[in-house]
Amino acid sequence: MTRSLLGSLLSSRLLLVMGKGGVGKTTLACVLAHVAASRGIETVVVDLAPGSDLARFLSKAPETLGHGDGRTPVPVSRHKSWLTIEPKIALQEYLEIELRFRPLASLVVRNPALKTLLAAAPGWRDLITLGKLWHLTTLERDGEPRWPLLIVDAPSTGYGLSFISVPLAVSDAVRMGPVARHTRSLRDLLCDRERTRVIPVTLPEELPVRETELLQRKLRELEMAAGPTLVNAVEPLPPLPSSETLARDLGGAPSSAPFPWLCWNQVERAITNVKRRAALQARYLKQLERAQEPVISLPLLASGVSGPDDIAELAGILEEGCAQ
Amino acid sequence: MKPADWLEREVLVCVGTGGVGKTTVSAALALEAARLGRRALVLTIDPARRLADALGTGPLGHDERELPPERLKGVGVRPPGRLSAMMLDTKRTFDDLVERYAPDAVARELILQNPIYRNLTDALVGSREYSAMERLHQIHSSGRYDLIVVDTPPASHALDFLDAPRRLTGFLDSQLLKRLFHPAAIVGRTSFRLFRRGSEGVLRLIERVSGLEFVRSISEFLLVFESLMGGFAARAHEIEALLRSERVGFVLISGANPDQARRAAEFWSRLSREQIHLVGAVVNRVRTWPGASLPKLPTESEESKALGWLEDRLGPGSEARGVLDTLLRQLALAQRDREHLGTLARALPLEPEALRTVPLLPEDIHAIDSLASLGRFVFGEAPDGV
Repeated sequence: MTRSLLGSLLSSRLLLVMGKGGVGKTTLACVLAHVAASRGIETVVVDLAPGSDLARFLSKAPETLGHGDGRTPVPVSRHKSWLTIEPKIALQEYLEIELRFRPLASLVVRNPALKTLLAAAPGWRDLITLGKLWHLTTLERDGEPRWPLLIVDAPSTGYGLSFISVPLAVSDAVRMGPVARHTRSLRDLLCDRERTRVIPVTLPEELPVRETELLQRKLRELEMAAGPTLVNAVEPLPPLPSSETLARDLGGAPSSAPFPWLCWNQVERAITNVKRRAALQARYLKQLERAQEPVISLPLLASGVSGPDDIAELAGILEEGCAQ
Repeated sequence: MKPADWLEREVLVCVGTGGVGKTTVSAALALEAARLGRRALVLTIDPARRLADALGTGPLGHDERELPPERLKGVGVRPPGRLSAMMLDTKRTFDDLVERYAPDAVARELILQNPIYRNLTDALVGSREYSAMERLHQIHSSGRYDLIVVDTPPASHALDFLDAPRRLTGFLDSQLLKRLFHPAAIVGRTSFRLFRRGSEGVLRLIERVSGLEFVRSISEFLLVFESLMGGFAARAHEIEALLRSERVGFVLISGANPDQARRAAEFWSRLSREQIHLVGAVVNRVRTWPGASLPKLPTESEESKALGWLEDRLGPGSEARGVLDTLLRQLALAQRDREHLGTLARALPLEPEALRTVPLLPEDIHAIDSLASLGRFVFGEAPDGV
């Protein structure tokens, strides 16, 4: 079980990290990349939103990370690269491949009519972004995959779902021609349980958990591989005395407290709040555990997640979680 | 501007990044207006359908749904005060528009049957935002409500919200479609030759890389859509004028953790160029310390002194360490949130009274009572130490 959970994660070609806005998708995409890279797997962290936190999590000096040409992943550290996919650059690249002639592609991309068309055309950004991901999975070097593992910091759930549904919608709408053909390859990649896996990320809170359940249901409908579900920012709960014990042992001696914050009513309220939130969290974790996907908790770091050290700390905890 | 004055606007637009409780705060604003005897509506365009969860009404849909007065009585809503809620349905809104503005039955059927229209209306850039604005406009001009609170989709999309009417109509309005597509195409139902073959070499290239059927579906979609444009464009202009008028106030919703506070500040710096009226901000789920003031974090020696004191009372090898760690953690989190709240306050052009904080509550908001208690933090006295 141990090996198989982490093994199936790391033997995938494409991991889509998905969840509601603000649950820590970027953080956990970087954590997964850290785990993979530390095992020697050439990993690309893929960003779809320029200006996200990704660079800060990958490097202590984010400003020194180059962006490259937007086509080839840029090395960040040992076995780790990153890439921001810009639909416009991906489109140019696609046209170059299809038309087999760079100037011609530039001509098309710069065409004012096409520019206006693309400003409003439905779904092309999602399609071309997925197309770029697919293309990266097909590249080889010395007969081996050039980019064996892509980890995508996907859009938040509502938009993320439409992101992965676009190939399905388009292949229903368009049945012939190159777009139809490419769309089918994208659909095959997304629905191939060996190659592609969605990693749902959530918080131990009501609405994110509901949304995760919605996501899990949708992925089952689409027959996509999913899991483990990563629960971010779980507050640790050390063993604490009961309220009665606290009241008995601390309540009687308010004046002797060496610091004002140790006075009885502040201690009592702080501890009670923590216990109540912990009970709530436990309930949501249990709710998630009812789904078929394994659940791994990651703690809320009191100092926040601000750089590669925090990512490494969480990566260690994730590996431990996978081993259990 | 004081929160009570926010409610004097006809429309409040709640904007902010994802995961900060925007939907919940939107509902709490509308509830407060209802408590003040106003007819209030909360409209969400969130595809995650969370509003019903917060209101506990069961599924919400395209049409406004009024909360039963007996549910609201307990939280102090009395006639004429009313609270309604609805969730945007992009496809339905567009279907309605097609019904209303299609020049004739043939055009209407063409668009409703078009595979691109049927499958991808949601993916059409700005369509969600456009239809939200459309619904807002419809409901606002109906005069049925004194206040409409609009819950927008998360950050990167919230600017689309302002741009969408302009972008969508700008595109459909342009001469491009007329130039690209054969103007007579709409007449004959079966003989689609939308691209003027031969006239634009580039278009042949597009066709080569994308396929004839794809191009045909897209061009049919756009062409028929364009026939609706007269109606669309006029409304888009009205909507734009409304959004920038004094009748509409924007409320920025944020969380207080470092990422959220930083993103909210960045978000505002982009939004501030849009000539809209920011009336206030709500910072949600702030970690607080349950004392009158927030103590400093203890030094290492103070920490071991505190541990000794706790062990004396709880017994050595007891849970003293757990108690201390828990307290220190809460202190650190409260310190952190306060610091970032300060940064956010400096980044926003608001007087202190317009920046409201809601503490992280030890329970979930899933009923009308908890919405009301959230509202008390927004509309009541500011909590200590903030």
